[in-house]
Amino acid sequence: MERFIADLVKNFESGKVDRREFCKTVALAATVYAAGDAANAQATRGFKVLGVNHISYTCPDYTRARDFQINVFGLENTPGHDTGKRANLMFGPEPGKGGSFIVTRNADATPNNRPPAQAYIDHYCYTLSNWDEARVRAAIKAKGQEISGGRDGSLHVLDPFNYDIQFASIVEENAFKR
Amino acid sequence: MEGFAAQKLSEFETGKISRRRLIESLTLAATTLYSADAAKAQADQTLKAQLINHISYTCPNFKPAADWYSMVFNLDQIGATKRDVALPFGKKGDEPYNVTAKDVPLSHLIIRTPDANAPPPARPKPASQAVIDHFALTVADFNRDRARAELTALGVKNIRDGGLRSLHMDDVNGYDVQICGLENNALTDG
Repeated sequence: MERFIADLVKNFESGKVDRREFCKTVALAATVYAAGDAANAQATRGFKVLGVNHISYTCPDYTRARDFQINVFGLENTPGHDTGKRANLMFGPEPGKGGSFIVTRNADATPNNRPPAQAYIDHYCYTLSNWDEARVRAAIKAKGQEISGGRDGSLHVLDPFNYDIQFASIVEENAFKR
Repeated sequence: MEGFAAQKLSEFETGKISRRRLIESLTLAATTLYSADAAKAQADQTLKAQLINHISYTCPNFKPAADWYSMVFNLDQIGATKRDVALPFGKKGDEPYNVTAKDVPLSHLIIRTPDANAPPPARPKPASQAVIDHFALTVADFNRDRARAELTALGVKNIRDGGLRSLHMDDVNGYDVQICGLENNALTDG
């Protein structure tokens, strides 16, 4: 707790947190501590990322993106979650056990008051297991899709809204092999 | 198939089966064989995404963005170049959470700056009508109040509730990032 408070003070002094945030955080930390969770209050400094939970994809017609993902990459439409405006498309481990999903959704007509971000996600990449170059390329072709770029072991397609989606093997796309 | 056809033809020639029977037999055999091949080809056409390999994040200056993600999510930076760096969700040798296949690498972020001096591509990409408006990371032992306190202490801006099971925040470039635990999933979100 002492280190946590010390860091908080440091952030306050450097202007990273204001007085209100400082007080609120101390109060929260005290609450956690009082609840007998003192170990967590100290030990969980920094998060342990397990994976990507989901990616939220907004487009003019979510059904076209949904069908593309199901048809091309084998994602599964979560029963009961296709609302007519969005769908949750599951893949990987089971939901609640590390599985991920893509939310395909229609653009919201409600004005977004957030200032525009200076960053964007220009593409994302799936890992395919048991990569076989000929089989993967044939499968993409058979589904009426065109490889839009990449190299053996790491390919790209454009989805129905020209969003760039990469799909790759562990050999070609692995952070530790950069 | 060839042997089967020869056998049926021989049976026809020796009068063991009628012409009609010959045709029926060969038709059935040929279509069954075709169906099997088609089914096999169909199966081969099924691709199955196992996991997100990486998310490619583009911004004006990759270094402060990478530092922000390292600070907030406790991620190492590896393989830095002049324009980009990778932030894997774990250490070398770790395996992705609950993935049994042995050929699925840890997911990672690639944070990059566009190359202002790059020549225009030979085949320019058409403009996309879609956008990734946010992404969410799953963290271990997520507790919303504790996470809010941690993020606040780290100086993270615009922290806000994302339903009962998550928080949203703005990253250093004002991009919407969500944090949640395993309980936020395809069956509970939305």
